[in-house]
Amino acid sequence: MDLTIAILVTVVGASTPILIAALGELVVERSGVLNLGVEGMMLLGAIAGFVVQFHTGNHYLALICGAAAGMAASLIFGFLTLSLSANQTATGLALTIFGTGFSALAGASYSARPVTLMSPIFPELAAHPVLRVIFGYSFPAYFAIFMVFAIWFFLKRTRAGLILRAVGENDLSAHSIGYSVVKVRYFAVMFGGAMAGIAGACFPLTLTPQWAEGMTAGRGWIAVALVVFASWRPFRLLGGAYLFGLVMTMELYAKAGGGPLSAIPSELWAALPYIATIVVLVLISLRRDASTNAPACLGKPFMPSN
Amino acid sequence: MMRYRLEKRPEPSKLMLYGTPVAAVVLTMILGCLLFSAIGYNGLRAVQEIFLTPLTNPYKWQDLGIKAAPLIIIGTGLSVAYRANVWNIGAEGQYIIGALAATGVALMTWGMSGWWILPVMAIAGMAAGMAYASIPAFLKTRLNVNEILTSLMLTYASVQLIYYLIRGPWKDPMGIGFPQSRLFSEAARLPNIIPGTIVHLGVPIAVIVALIAWFVMSKTVFGYRMRVVGAAPHAARYGGFSETRTIWLAMLVSGGLAGLAGMLEVAGPFQRMVPGFPTNYGFTAIIVAFLGRLNPLGVIVAGVVLAITFVGGQVAQTTIGLPDEATGIFQAMMLFLLLAGDILVRYRIRRVSPEASVGAA
Repeated sequence: MDLTIAILVTVVGASTPILIAALGELVVERSGVLNLGVEGMMLLGAIAGFVVQFHTGNHYLALICGAAAGMAASLIFGFLTLSLSANQTATGLALTIFGTGFSALAGASYSARPVTLMSPIFPELAAHPVLRVIFGYSFPAYFAIFMVFAIWFFLKRTRAGLILRAVGENDLSAHSIGYSVVKVRYFAVMFGGAMAGIAGACFPLTLTPQWAEGMTAGRGWIAVALVVFASWRPFRLLGGAYLFGLVMTMELYAKAGGGPLSAIPSELWAALPYIATIVVLVLISLRRDASTNAPACLGKPFMPSN
Repeated sequence: MMRYRLEKRPEPSKLMLYGTPVAAVVLTMILGCLLFSAIGYNGLRAVQEIFLTPLTNPYKWQDLGIKAAPLIIIGTGLSVAYRANVWNIGAEGQYIIGALAATGVALMTWGMSGWWILPVMAIAGMAAGMAYASIPAFLKTRLNVNEILTSLMLTYASVQLIYYLIRGPWKDPMGIGFPQSRLFSEAARLPNIIPGTIVHLGVPIAVIVALIAWFVMSKTVFGYRMRVVGAAPHAARYGGFSETRTIWLAMLVSGGLAGLAGMLEVAGPFQRMVPGFPTNYGFTAIIVAFLGRLNPLGVIVAGVVLAITFVGGQVAQTTIGLPDEATGIFQAMMLFLLLAGDILVRYRIRRVSPEASVGAA
């Protein structure tokens, strides 16, 4: 029982950054833009969050600065793909290469310097042996779940959400009835950048209290894959992210404790999230509605005829 | 007030197509100088050391050659794939798997001699790279699974495979606990082609590979088909060109060449498998392919340019203490600027007089 609860708590912690990043990318893709720079924006958010926490000791300020770093990076992507209609795939890759290099440069003098992890927001309940499954987390875990509901509500129930979906489904019609496709997409891309930045900041602030080069280890790419897995629906994203959190947590427990799990080489466990991503993408492709649910304009540059 | 607007060109501009990569490199030097000055380095020195020293110092030329070789080989394969609109971004993984297959051959033949060992290693490397690339190809053609994500995930998995092999079955018995393979036998190491230098056989092979690819892509039906499928998939279908076959060919060519580069790298500079083998050549080659305008001849030039930044980055590290990571920033900036300049290939900037713009509105 204790072990089960310990595992569940770890799962939620490991899933949270992926969920936050994937929620941002979901909104971006719903507006018809494919930003493959999530990994790079996460690393920029991670280093910004780390540096601010290291110097100020304020976790919330660190999260906000992480969001700002991610958003600033997303503006480079937005300018190239939306204002200059550059190829989205290539620009996203460039953003990831840039984020990897820039965060490594900025963090070079900070390696092996510790920061403190965020503490749970309900300290008394977090110490309870059972209730900590629900109340044992710091702010980002609840923020992620709140955003699942908020984004669902925004997309389904608000006028702005409807416009965003219209822009993603049929940019030319949205344009012809007077909506600014480029402006809507800029907002979506910036939101995605801020979410990726927060997600990245979660790594030094809630998982491992230090800066390490490339510390997001491909989680940004897994977030991109999760959006496909979730068929662009927020609630499926929630389930998908926790599923991946479970896979990653199994690695930790297999390495730590003996038992049958430790007979499997630790490298296989480390490779498992990536293999699981491929398996999940295959499974999702077998479902009939998989591709039909993708936003129709995803990844295509907006080219009005004039 | 003067106003400008973009106007679509009737045909893409050739001048801009080949002029923008040059402009991107020059602008990277200028912006890089400003950026590094802003964060407290000597920006001018940084640009000078990174972009000029590798060219002006003849001792660095051999480094340029061996750094450019894998970039050119992988970049050539990627340029073929991207031409066909097949987004293989897992070249790093195919490069690693190719190197692992070559390492396997080298270890199996350890202590033996014979001219045949290196060719067998090369074939094993290419075959393994192709096999690894065929996973995304199969998933894309059969199940329409996005090849970007699958090829990338396989890259992360391949790194773990290195760790497993060199900590376990391939661990050097004489390695005093270091996770690395044995040093290859003489017959499994690439010969140096210029005595007294580190220039190995991989350097001329890279140029030959790019030249062959250029010939095939621009002068044969195969190349024509790849280009048509990439540029106009609907027209290609009418013309009887199969999209499935094109995806397979694109993946196999890019995977095979990445595997070959992996073999040359492990048999050349490394001569054994170590945990630090993955050095992101597979990712940097993406920039090489774009900077070379997806043209194998351009890829040769772009491969050398990127090699300059690698070698220059090391120079700047020792002379002015610029962190190694700065290289990656210069490389990413180059790609950003190149992509930004793409708009000038398809559009031209027209000055509009105020009256005309009022009339248009």
